[in-house]
Amino acid sequence: MPIGNVHPSVRPAQAGRTDGAAGSAPHRGVGRPRRARGLRSERLAPYILVAPAILIIVVMRLYPLLLGVNFSFTGDGDRNGMAVGLDNYLELFRAPLFRTALGNVGLLVLLLPVAVAIPGLLATFIYLRVPGHRVYRGVYFFPAVLSPVIVGGIFNLLLAFDGPLNAALGSVGIGAVDWLGDPDIAMFMVVGVHVWATFGMSLVVFLAGFATLDSALLDAARVDGASLPKVIWHVIIPGLSRTIQFVFVTTMIGMLTSMFGLLYVMTSGGPEGSTYLPEYYIWIQQGQMNRPALASAASTVLFVIMIVVGLLQIKLLKRAAREA
Amino acid sequence: MKQRAMWSAVLVVGLALAGCGSATGKDSSPGGSKGKLVVWDWKSGEPSAKAYLEKAKADFAKKHPDVTVEFVAQPFDQYYTLLGAAIQSGKGPDVILFNGGGQIRDRVDALVPLDEYVAEDKQRLAGWDAFTKESKIYASPVTLQGHPIYYNKALYAKAGLDPDSPATTWSKFLADCGAIAKAGAKCFALGNKEGAGIQFWLSGLGSGILTAQEYDNWIAGKRDWTSPNVKRVFQLWKEAGDAGLNNEGANSTAMFNDSFALFQSAKAAHVIGLMSDVGHWKDFSEFLTPEKLGVMDAPVVTPGTTPSLAYDGGIGYGVAKWTKDPKVSADLVRALTSTDALKSFYADAGAIASDTTIDVSQGGPAVTTLVSEIKGGKPALHVALSSKTLDLMGRLSQQLLGGSITVDEAVKQLAASDQAG
Amino acid sequence: MSRIRLSRWLVAIPMALLALATVYPLLFTANVAMKTRRDYILDRFSLTDALRWENISTAWNSVGMGRYFVNSLLVVTSSVVLLLLFGSMAGFALSQLRFRGSTALFLGCLAGLFVPFQVIMVPLARIMADGGLIDTYPGLILVYVAQFLPFTVFLMTSYYKTIPPEIIDAARIDGNSVYGVYRRIMLPLGTPALLSVGILNALFCWNDVLMALVMMPSADHRTLMVGVTSLRGQYSDDIPTFASGVLIAAVPVLVVYLFLQRQIADGVAAGSTKG
Repeated sequence: MPIGNVHPSVRPAQAGRTDGAAGSAPHRGVGRPRRARGLRSERLAPYILVAPAILIIVVMRLYPLLLGVNFSFTGDGDRNGMAVGLDNYLELFRAPLFRTALGNVGLLVLLLPVAVAIPGLLATFIYLRVPGHRVYRGVYFFPAVLSPVIVGGIFNLLLAFDGPLNAALGSVGIGAVDWLGDPDIAMFMVVGVHVWATFGMSLVVFLAGFATLDSALLDAARVDGASLPKVIWHVIIPGLSRTIQFVFVTTMIGMLTSMFGLLYVMTSGGPEGSTYLPEYYIWIQQGQMNRPALASAASTVLFVIMIVVGLLQIKLLKRAAREA
Repeated sequence: MKQRAMWSAVLVVGLALAGCGSATGKDSSPGGSKGKLVVWDWKSGEPSAKAYLEKAKADFAKKHPDVTVEFVAQPFDQYYTLLGAAIQSGKGPDVILFNGGGQIRDRVDALVPLDEYVAEDKQRLAGWDAFTKESKIYASPVTLQGHPIYYNKALYAKAGLDPDSPATTWSKFLADCGAIAKAGAKCFALGNKEGAGIQFWLSGLGSGILTAQEYDNWIAGKRDWTSPNVKRVFQLWKEAGDAGLNNEGANSTAMFNDSFALFQSAKAAHVIGLMSDVGHWKDFSEFLTPEKLGVMDAPVVTPGTTPSLAYDGGIGYGVAKWTKDPKVSADLVRALTSTDALKSFYADAGAIASDTTIDVSQGGPAVTTLVSEIKGGKPALHVALSSKTLDLMGRLSQQLLGGSITVDEAVKQLAASDQAG
Repeated sequence: MSRIRLSRWLVAIPMALLALATVYPLLFTANVAMKTRRDYILDRFSLTDALRWENISTAWNSVGMGRYFVNSLLVVTSSVVLLLLFGSMAGFALSQLRFRGSTALFLGCLAGLFVPFQVIMVPLARIMADGGLIDTYPGLILVYVAQFLPFTVFLMTSYYKTIPPEIIDAARIDGNSVYGVYRRIMLPLGTPALLSVGILNALFCWNDVLMALVMMPSADHRTLMVGVTSLRGQYSDDIPTFASGVLIAAVPVLVVYLFLQRQIADGVAAGSTKG
């Protein structure tokens, strides 16, 4: 169900393989289902199908979120349980570290297309049966089974000042770089490792998406002698717009909420606080600083950011798909 | 097709039932049940703590044979966050292991004052201050944690220095570092990735920089950030970095494992280490045998200062407010700090136990020196600071090494943070 | 055609290098697991001089991994089955059926996607404690289902949108109820998506540490990844034992993935012919 597409005018709703056409050219109800039998239960059926999912999500995610928002207006420590209005939010936006964390969110959003394009391209090549595609499909997933703590630990060793990467650079005459100790570089390294560790998951989603791609279109393009970039641009991207949209959103969520393990192991938010993300900030305030209410306020801000960025993305992508 | 759907339905129901079945009829509350005490720590999973726990359990069982004790080892990375969640939901363990200093002081609302229960232990054990807030005791110390300066005697000999008389003044120390550099090693192994390096620096060298009066005032909470000696601590930190005394890439070197590994593998001659847990005499002994490992006092920077060992209570057990019977829980805490139990902890885990009556003469000269200095020791300077100020200090110290801030500016920010808290 | 073939060879080389890079960490971990602590401190990268299995047995025995393994298996399979069931039901309704409020319900599910666990951790722990579900298997299963359901619903909805309505109409004409369509058409047609989303969910649940820690305070209710994580104390530097724990947790996942990815490939093939 694309957001904003509020009017599925036929039943069943229009399928839209190329979702650019969503909402237009309805297939006029091919043979309406029989009305007689169990009209009422038929009418209730969609609600019954949706009920378990909705109930669980509302009770166990949205309701606690509301409680957390409520909590963010109370104080910590001596002011525990007292209403403090917007104090926590004011403190947050005055805190340089939280501002750094928000700035890094901006950086992540900018890097997002790269993080989506990499698994997308690789999946395309695998789908086009590049030599060795079976092997790649298997091993590209390997990093995804390792927990971030392990991945971070290994890259710590590889990127250490006296580690193998600097040794290799040194052997070709390039000076050593403090990959994780230089505040201008460290964030990129962490993001790079995160992409490396998670692209296997997006790859699986892309490959599942290719299952829905009409191979006849691709064959036609090949017979016409279209170049690879053209095939990607004119056949694969429009055909997979829904998958791409999905990977965009999940990658963003992954970047904003599951880089904690890597941050913790690779940089601990440093050097000089340059690799803070809101998630890490929340963790530190909650655990190390014992400021749960302030952490709740930061959580609320993170939630709002994610909703806004996510919706904007979907909007942009839909527009792009329509224009393509 | 129909069959497949039916099978999956059966599977779901079956699994759901299995899930329910295994949980019902069991005591599912994590703590607070009558015949059982739950202890949270991050140690009990380690093989080296096994004998210690067994002795403590046996000791406790003598007094309370009908109470079972369950130790739950939590991963240290998540420890305080989990504890926070448990405190918030009011369902937590009965007995809780804490680090001394800020971590326990921030959470005393959830703890029972232990003064009346542990009075008998007050003489035998050291390190109470780290577990005390507003003159009430909230935990009994298990280990002492301090920040001695260790040095590699073999490297000293290689550099043509006398391994048995390390420098006592800062200028002599710098000269020695020059000799060590010529012998191909760094002066300090420094890991400042977490920003902990500066904490060790402050506490390890502080007694040679601050006057006795300044030191005591600092601990008492009257910190004079405008004092030139306080500024000198950070000045020397920066100078040591600029002069190349530290290993390269200190800001990306982890304190634990990495910086200690540099010291152990003789790539650096000194390290400001610990007394308990890790980064200490026992931990180094695989590479640096007792004869090769030295412990030195802080070199005197400010004339007239008397260097002393910086130490506090390391870890200790406290009792949660929601426990059924605080007396029973306090008895468990006492069992966990009995001389017998602590003896095994010292021997197996390699910690300086809080019980000062334990004989350590077998542990080698470094341990003997350490234990002899405990009497004249003072609380560590960094432990007196709030978690917030320590966090800031870590980041500023990285900026000092990276050259993006001046010493004056750093001290100014620290003063502001310290006075606000 | 020929140009595509040429590009295929051009990309094959970097892709092969990437494949090597993705296998390396696992090999590195396996290598470390075979070393002694001393060897590891002296040189992390060198090849181990002997196959030492004792680290693995130390890791396995020290924290009761056998028990944790069973716990993980129980929790993960139950969670994934429930996720796929609820996810495909909702996905079918939201993509193919027309009913009042469907957009609002879909947006509600989507909103769940944007709630990181840390954000709701403390309130959720309190809700679970009040409901008597803390420290129980159904409790943890429910938390996993809630955590990954928005993702699952989203994926299944997107996937089911690609199924032509004619297929459903035809089934309806044959006299199937809505439930019949779900069971006889949507479930089988959804296999490729169900498999991939199932793998991802299984992996998320299997690798999770935080939720399991918060929801399962008792030592004997722990999951495997929690057990592995607890092999590292505050400062523990016995990396070879820890690496062994990592291997114990990672190998079953790898085996299952390598087995299932053939099924996915088959599913992909089936999906493209039917579509």
